[in-house]
Amino acid sequence: MNPSFDPTPVTRRRFLHSSTEGMGAIALAWMLARERAGASPASPSTPSRLPHYAPRAKRIVQIFCCGGVSHLDTFDPKPELDRMHGKTLEGKGENLGFFGQPGKLMRSPYEFRRHGQSGAWVSSLLPHLAGCVDDLCFIRSMVAKSNNHTPATFQMNSGYTMNGFPSMGAWLSYALGTENENLPTFVVLPDPRGMIAGGSINWTSGFLPANHQGVPFRTQSREPIGDLRTPDSIPLEARRADMEFLAGMNRGFAASHEGEPSFGARLRAYELAARMQVSIPEATDLESEPESIRALYGLDRESTRGFSRNCLMARRLLERGVRFVQIFNGGAFGSPRINWDGHENLKENHDTQAATMDQPVAALIQDLKQRGMLEDTLVVWATEFGRGPATQGIDSPGRDHHPTAFTCFLAGAGVRPGHTHGVTDEVGYFVAENPVTIYDFHATILHLLGIQHEKLTFYHNGINRRLTDVHGKVVSEILS
Amino acid sequence: MPCRSYRFTGLIRAALVAATLGVTPILRAEPPPAASAATNGLHWAFAPIRMPALPDGGAQRGGEGNPIDAFVQARLAKAGLHPAPEADRATLIRRLSFDLLGLPPGPSEVEEFVRDPDPRAYGRLVERLLASPHYGEQWGRHWLDVVRYTESQGFEYDRLRENAWHYRDYVIASLNRDIPYDRFMREQVAGDVLEPATRDGIVATSLLVCGPYDEAGNAQANATQRMITREEEMEDLLSVVGQSFLGVTLNCARCHSHKFDPIPIDDYYRMKSVFDGVKHGERPIATSAEIRDRESRLEGVRQRIAAGEAAIGAIESEAWKQAYARRDPGAAGDTTPPRPALEFRFDTPEKERPAGSLEGGAVVAGGRLLLTNSGAFFRSAPIPRELREKTLEAWVSLEGLSQGGGAAISLEAPGGQVFDAIVFGERQPRKWVAGSEGFARTRDLSAPEEIVPPGVPVHVVAVYGGGNRVTLYRNGVPYGESYQPGSPLQTYKAGEARVLLGMRHTGGGRPFLRGEILKASVFDRALSAAEVGSLFRSSGAHVSREALEAAMTPEGRRERERLGREVEGARAELGSMPPLPVSYAGVRRQPEPTRRLRRGDVKTPEDVMVPGALSVIRTPSPEFGLPADAPEGERRRRFADWLASPENPLPARVMMNRVWQFHFGQGLVATPNDLGRSGSAPTHPELLDWLAATFIRSGWSLKAMHRLIVTSAAYRQSSRFDSASAAADADNLLLWRYAPRRLEAEMLRDAMLSVSGELNPAVGGPSFRSFDVLTFPANAYVPRDKTGPEFNRRSVYRMNVNSGKEPLMDAFDCPDPAVKTPRRGVTITPLQALALMNNSFVQRQAERLAARAKSVGGEGMADGVSTAYRLALGRSPTPQESAAAQGVSRDRGLLPICWALLNSTEFLYIQ
Repeated sequence: MNPSFDPTPVTRRRFLHSSTEGMGAIALAWMLARERAGASPASPSTPSRLPHYAPRAKRIVQIFCCGGVSHLDTFDPKPELDRMHGKTLEGKGENLGFFGQPGKLMRSPYEFRRHGQSGAWVSSLLPHLAGCVDDLCFIRSMVAKSNNHTPATFQMNSGYTMNGFPSMGAWLSYALGTENENLPTFVVLPDPRGMIAGGSINWTSGFLPANHQGVPFRTQSREPIGDLRTPDSIPLEARRADMEFLAGMNRGFAASHEGEPSFGARLRAYELAARMQVSIPEATDLESEPESIRALYGLDRESTRGFSRNCLMARRLLERGVRFVQIFNGGAFGSPRINWDGHENLKENHDTQAATMDQPVAALIQDLKQRGMLEDTLVVWATEFGRGPATQGIDSPGRDHHPTAFTCFLAGAGVRPGHTHGVTDEVGYFVAENPVTIYDFHATILHLLGIQHEKLTFYHNGINRRLTDVHGKVVSEILS
Repeated sequence: MPCRSYRFTGLIRAALVAATLGVTPILRAEPPPAASAATNGLHWAFAPIRMPALPDGGAQRGGEGNPIDAFVQARLAKAGLHPAPEADRATLIRRLSFDLLGLPPGPSEVEEFVRDPDPRAYGRLVERLLASPHYGEQWGRHWLDVVRYTESQGFEYDRLRENAWHYRDYVIASLNRDIPYDRFMREQVAGDVLEPATRDGIVATSLLVCGPYDEAGNAQANATQRMITREEEMEDLLSVVGQSFLGVTLNCARCHSHKFDPIPIDDYYRMKSVFDGVKHGERPIATSAEIRDRESRLEGVRQRIAAGEAAIGAIESEAWKQAYARRDPGAAGDTTPPRPALEFRFDTPEKERPAGSLEGGAVVAGGRLLLTNSGAFFRSAPIPRELREKTLEAWVSLEGLSQGGGAAISLEAPGGQVFDAIVFGERQPRKWVAGSEGFARTRDLSAPEEIVPPGVPVHVVAVYGGGNRVTLYRNGVPYGESYQPGSPLQTYKAGEARVLLGMRHTGGGRPFLRGEILKASVFDRALSAAEVGSLFRSSGAHVSREALEAAMTPEGRRERERLGREVEGARAELGSMPPLPVSYAGVRRQPEPTRRLRRGDVKTPEDVMVPGALSVIRTPSPEFGLPADAPEGERRRRFADWLASPENPLPARVMMNRVWQFHFGQGLVATPNDLGRSGSAPTHPELLDWLAATFIRSGWSLKAMHRLIVTSAAYRQSSRFDSASAAADADNLLLWRYAPRRLEAEMLRDAMLSVSGELNPAVGGPSFRSFDVLTFPANAYVPRDKTGPEFNRRSVYRMNVNSGKEPLMDAFDCPDPAVKTPRRGVTITPLQALALMNNSFVQRQAERLAARAKSVGGEGMADGVSTAYRLALGRSPTPQESAAAQGVSRDRGLLPICWALLNSTEFLYIQ
């Protein structure tokens, strides 16, 4: 393990001396005073007997590429498409696209090559990820239920195509709790170009208790979450005195009400809040990162500037014990396109999107690896569906949505590196071997975190709900 | 949907109700009562309700002989437990006030009540609170949680529902008026088809559609996926009916017969047949008689316009014939083309052209608008008049037929988030379609592919008529079938909308048309087929405006002007008749017979099902005797009769359990949306039945039941903790005390406004929007702490959208509006603490409270502190508290004290 990776939370005293955030220092002083006063920490409530078995992964980072990344132009080469280019696709049944009649089959505008020891195929679109293939495990046989962005995105995030179901991060927060209560358990890093369609629906806790929902960070701001800073109008010394006064009030009230654990818990919540005022700015401050790291992520390059901040921030959050970091690459649907929804011109679109995503994600994987964190961190790269082999409409260089075959990859803890699972048919239309449903995908992720997916349940309105509904099978072939 | 065996474990229940951070209540699972001889082998909830006898030996306390106490105390006595003594009056008025109104009592109310020596003071207080208009707001909020009420669509676009709030007001007003609960139920499933028809009845049915709607999924090209989208929608609808009124998870039976409850798969599809005619959308809040009446008045004005236009047309066409004859003696045109409200011609001198701009390389040449560059289009100036019913027309020649996505003419609201357009080749190659945002009013048509060669003009028209009917025409004849889209007819506001020629809408992908526009126009009414035909014939070869003018006689010109003024007058009259108010109450259509789907799969339809209800309930009969093709309204009317029958055992039990839960923090059944076998067993089964039977006997009066419950000794006991009782019954299931409860998010916000003196008590109306909307074209909501009286209304009037969370509300467990929430979670988190510490709203209320305490309490510091305490907590500070507070406020005034009070545990909890 690289000595620079300290899996335990950075000490509070180090913050006191290193943090430049005055508000933090004051809150911290108050908080330390509270600790001296002997407030006892309590452990967060999670279902007991979890994990169900020894986890391979302790934490997880998901990169979600919104809009539908074309498998045919990234990780799943189809020489047959070159041969069939310009011909009509036949024998595949009902058209699965979102926009009606497809045009002719279209070859990929990118060149595919084998890479690394494993010889995995990656197109010229993603040169940086191509350099990581020996750490990646591709699943080329993913199958989604919907050809419609938002239901498909909901399914990838929550297992269901409808609003109101808890997202995977919320399930993991519920299942495993936190490793560092000074930071949120489930952090969401939206694309700086724009919020994903559906916004907070994508990281909702659904019917799980609200503390399990994702906390979106404003990654390009000095105040990553709202209400973190003490209002400017209040001198920090004054706030310290106010906190002391409030704590006295609440302590007195709790003491005079025996048998009310909630009252004690509120005292504790204020302590944690004060700590968050220090720990969140510290965790999201990228200034201290060395030049080599900034260069690795492409922090100073125009095309990757915003998104690379998110990837680097993700590493810092994971390092500090955040359980689930979800990074969105791409925003809502509209024009100009700020996601992978390449209806009009696949190449133009994917070139633009890949320029933001490729280097920072590859850097994140390399960085986790060089710190030894890839041992117990699971990296999930996902999208809601793939794109069809034919053009969308006549004479168009774009591709429509395609739910019945697409590619995702995993890397890190417990995952078989340099492996490719599943096979699609000659034009990447259907899965030919080893289909992997989203349920299977989720079951496998839970498995890597030590959770048996059938046993992670929550009763809601008459039903013992699961992330995997009544389906799901662990894809054992991709486990190391 | 999964339906798995559910047995409580302490673990799951703990997570349901627990605060986090180490608070883990203990729950002892009770075995569900066996189906007994008394219930005829049925699970208890499905058995008929009988009025149970009062238990013996239940000591009557509180001097009022409340039967509720007989049940509660008998159960306590059996467990060897004792109830707590009655709470003091200051506690009682605060508890009752929050419970019934969601607001704290004012200091003078507290003092008056505490001092009142009359033992009947409590009863009078109950009556006063039940009569308050704020009662409906508080209890309406509970109901809105249950029925997943939201004011945005959810899913991809998450558009605002501007007109959903009528339902919220209906719920509040119904509760305030204490309309009988059986009627409340009937109205919400079939109010639009009950006799006599009422506006309330129409609005009430919003319950069926007030959850998420997948606009993109409903409009997409793939038929199978569209059907799946509809099945998901129906599951949402049926589950809200099943869970809210019946306390059963009917949705389990979509794929297979319910595994634990006697709900076969056929029941699901019988009930699906009941509601299959209900679709999402807005409808006028008017009875059919009102709509007919208005229509006939409108028709009169429309006829005047049409007659005036016909007369103008006659004059013009005469001139046209002459002008045309001079140009081309062979052709003859129509005589009476209708006159447009706006006309876009490019054959006139530049200064006479319609106001607008040429964009992206668009050029006017040869009397035409040339769109040869991709990206070229014409954008008009804002249109000065409002457009609702409308007709779009264009003469266009296409550069080629393989292009797609561009529009000949488009009418769009600012930013392009709403538009109606005549679009070429977007979803189906070579076909015309009525384009709209997210395909909301678009349908693929069975019409021939376009064949016209480049350079040859084609005439396209889209008519958006009354009754929300869309019809396309090509070269004067209907193009494909006319249809009614799911999304309502759009109104484009005067001074906002613009016409685009060449571009589909601002912000679209592939939006440009390549070719030429010869002429385009917009009519502010729906043209008939004959008028469209005449339009096509008359402008088949156009004559310039000057030539037309020149060919008219002076008399003709004068007459035309006079007629023009008349038509303008009639148009103004039309404009002054505002559209009917609309509500997001859903639209109706007569559905195809409903088929059972094997495993819920749209690809495997099986038998045709007839409308019916839950077969486990034999009385009232679940068989309606209706055929599979019965009128959709009749199906819902029959279902409403079945649902609201006093013999139906479920609704009264379900509702009484909810009412009990909201009064005590926990229900007699802990799973309020599931009284079936996988729900939990009632702690006091006889009490629940007594309440249900009494409820029905009271004429389904909720207020009567509130009165009974809140006057019981069980409700009035103190929250005093007793370790011996807790050891026996940690969760207080047997009610040995009144358990403290944290304020819900809305109550917390309202309480802050109330104590600061800022609360705006206005009841009802459109919701306030504490966010900014970014449209791309999906809506994103950016929460904003906006100030002003509008934003100081009660939180039930906050526009609660799906994808935009408000930090303060969200931190305090305000549920995701898409989730049917019978009971809110309670968590304690650092984010809550941060919100109370730093949120600008809290900060502002603390400042106002400080100012109020100072102005009421006077300059003396002790008085100020004391007033702040009495305002915020309903009590005076102890001498020690006062001394400590004065120590802090000596240097900095009352603000820090007020901030601390709003952050205090005492403020946040009902005791």
